Amino acid sequence: MDIPLDQIVQSTEVVMDKIRWGYEKLLEEEAKELVWMVQYNTIIKAYEVAERYIKEIDYSAEDIEDFCFALENTHKIPYLIPGPAGVYISALCNYAEEEEIVLKLSELKTEINLIGFRLPKGKRLLVEGDTGDFTGIGIEGGELVVEGNAKNWTGAGMRSGKILVKKNIGLHTGEWMMGGEIYVGGRVRGLGNIVEGKVFERDKLVYPGKARYPNLYY
Amino acid sequence: MEEQNLQAIIEEIWPRLKKKHLYPEIPMPQIGKITESTEGESGKDEGVGLEMKQKQMTINPDFLDLMKNKMPERKVMEALLDHGITHYTFCPWDFHTHLMLYAEAKKVMGDKESAKQVANYFIDVIADTHCVKKRSTEIPELHRNLKKGKVEEVIASLYQKIWGIHLGIESSKLSGKSHEEVVRRLARIPYMDRSRWQESIKKFARSIKPLLVAEQKEQEGGGGKGESNPQGEHDLTHYSSEEIDHGLRDYAKKTMGLSEFRDVVEDFSDELKEAGYGMEGGMGRGRGAPIDADVLFYMKLSENYSIPLRKVSMDEKGVLHPHSHTPWEVGSPFQDIDIWTSFGKIMPGITQTWKKREGKGRGKMEGTPDCLIVIDSSGSMINPRKNLSYAVLGAACATNAYLRNDSKVAVYNFSDAPMGGKDILNYTDKKEEIYRTLCKYFGGGTALDLEDLIPLIKGRKNLDLFIITDMKITNLEALIGFFGQIQNRITAVHIGENPYAARFEKAVEKRRNINIFTVKRKEDIPHIVLGTIREYFNPTHKG
Repeated sequence: MDIPLDQIVQSTEVVMDKIRWGYEKLLEEEAKELVWMVQYNTIIKAYEVAERYIKEIDYSAEDIEDFCFALENTHKIPYLIPGPAGVYISALCNYAEEEEIVLKLSELKTEINLIGFRLPKGKRLLVEGDTGDFTGIGIEGGELVVEGNAKNWTGAGMRSGKILVKKNIGLHTGEWMMGGEIYVGGRVRGLGNIVEGKVFERDKLVYPGKARYPNLYY
Repeated sequence: MEEQNLQAIIEEIWPRLKKKHLYPEIPMPQIGKITESTEGESGKDEGVGLEMKQKQMTINPDFLDLMKNKMPERKVMEALLDHGITHYTFCPWDFHTHLMLYAEAKKVMGDKESAKQVANYFIDVIADTHCVKKRSTEIPELHRNLKKGKVEEVIASLYQKIWGIHLGIESSKLSGKSHEEVVRRLARIPYMDRSRWQESIKKFARSIKPLLVAEQKEQEGGGGKGESNPQGEHDLTHYSSEEIDHGLRDYAKKTMGLSEFRDVVEDFSDELKEAGYGMEGGMGRGRGAPIDADVLFYMKLSENYSIPLRKVSMDEKGVLHPHSHTPWEVGSPFQDIDIWTSFGKIMPGITQTWKKREGKGRGKMEGTPDCLIVIDSSGSMINPRKNLSYAVLGAACATNAYLRNDSKVAVYNFSDAPMGGKDILNYTDKKEEIYRTLCKYFGGGTALDLEDLIPLIKGRKNLDLFIITDMKITNLEALIGFFGQIQNRITAVHIGENPYAARFEKAVEKRRNINIFTVKRKEDIPHIVLGTIREYFNPTHKG
């Protein structure tokens, strides 16, 4: 007897195959010989390619989380390159129908870089677990919550919006930040060259505030 | 009377149920009260409908009574039995699968109790869904009528979604958007795909974790224990000792990971002890002694590898025959009394009993000698309690080979023996003691004290030696010289390749009674042949 579970699982597999295909095309076009350097133009270009493929897929927020875990499974996806993967996941989040997306990534062994790139206004992305470098860079009004640690270059180039990191954050925080707010529940290892915006460490305003030099090690 | 009627219903429906599930090897279920086994809670548990102990299913008449107004007894019984049978025929199927699911759940949940809860829910979802999909069953009707807590409501809502059958859960009843989201996540999991259960249970655990944490907090606040599962709990009582044995063996082989195996065994240690499993030599040990998970790991893992053992013609046939008479005393056994010389009387002073001896002379029957295992546990060897040690695994396989043939094994575990870094176990057939001695790790220097070996070898004919080491022994030359003086069959296994091993091989290449094997990975272990004598010459087989 056929039950709805069969249909649900089958359609989930179809969507996952399409998402995987889009990622592989992104790698083909942007990560020649599996090498990818994090630079302003490479990120922009990778994002544009990702957008192109994602727009054709009808997926849900849960598919994004499944894709994150599928990245670690080399049988399903042969290459996990953290940069393009993060850009792709960010594009998936930005183009998802849901306004609020929850990614439960605590069991993920790899920390994904570039999560939350260009998160638009009206979108809320909650990540359970730790994130890698360049978290929330270029946020455009959205709200990014990381229930764990974030690494370096968090919030770099963000224009508006909010980033909340419940635990600790790395170096170059808010580098070239043009606006918005970063809240850190733990410690900030170092600030970047902030143009405008605010950074809070344990509810205390650290920028603008008492004089602090970028990347003060303490 | 009531129970007799219920038993009669079981006898009527059982053949049909067996046929429906393709004749599983399960005995006829019984009717009986089910007692809550938790400490501090006495009395019978009306809320549990089914109990499964070592394939024997028992249905609780009190539960049937509870459900009487909502569902006919026959249908309740059918639904419960469908569920119970599916646990044996589909999920979890065996103890190994149960362990595997629990271990994966624990990676997400972090603690033992929650991991068990998650594994139980997961197993139930699979069993019920399998029944609904593959068989015609009353399980949906049972779920429609069962009393539900918050988590059970979510599970019922999940069933509604994946079965396409309305179970009376309205989406407005579900507490909040978050529960709908949980159901949505749970519905995407491929429960029927066994090959993905490991991945699926993690997804299941991730999704249901917030609900279980909230429920736990509520229970702690309320000071009570949660409701029992009406379809029965899933614990080790489901499995027989052989099934547990098998399961542990398969799990050890699959994980090959000492720490993972240890974690799981320690989590289940109470249940394993309750099942009477794992405790050898009961006198003085009993249930108070903890299970040594590391020893158990090597025991189970070594059962997967079989090392061939070449038998040898034994000087003593090993057969006892009557040799002489001796006066019988009160308290001595009766079976060896010689009634002829005793004049038919059983009286001290008159009755004679036979004294038996082993037959001498070279018999045609081959036998297995005893074995002395010499194992290196110096700093250059792996600590068997931290990582998988091929040395201990190889020695364990050799132990099994000899014990299986009713021989005894002695162990000489050495590191810097002259400084006291050694452990000697005299000849014994007690497997656990042998394994404990093998698993001991000193981690010091490497030197044998040959004086220790002499008493273990002296006076024993046809003794085999099994030495396992990386050959980085400071008094290697003395050892080579020692081997040159003895005629016993020696199997030398060295771990990895190095100049010392090459030196040893060169030194003993002309010795016909010494065979050397290299172990670099676990697959090399079955290639060890214990007690081979080189093919070109074997004086013991001259005829």
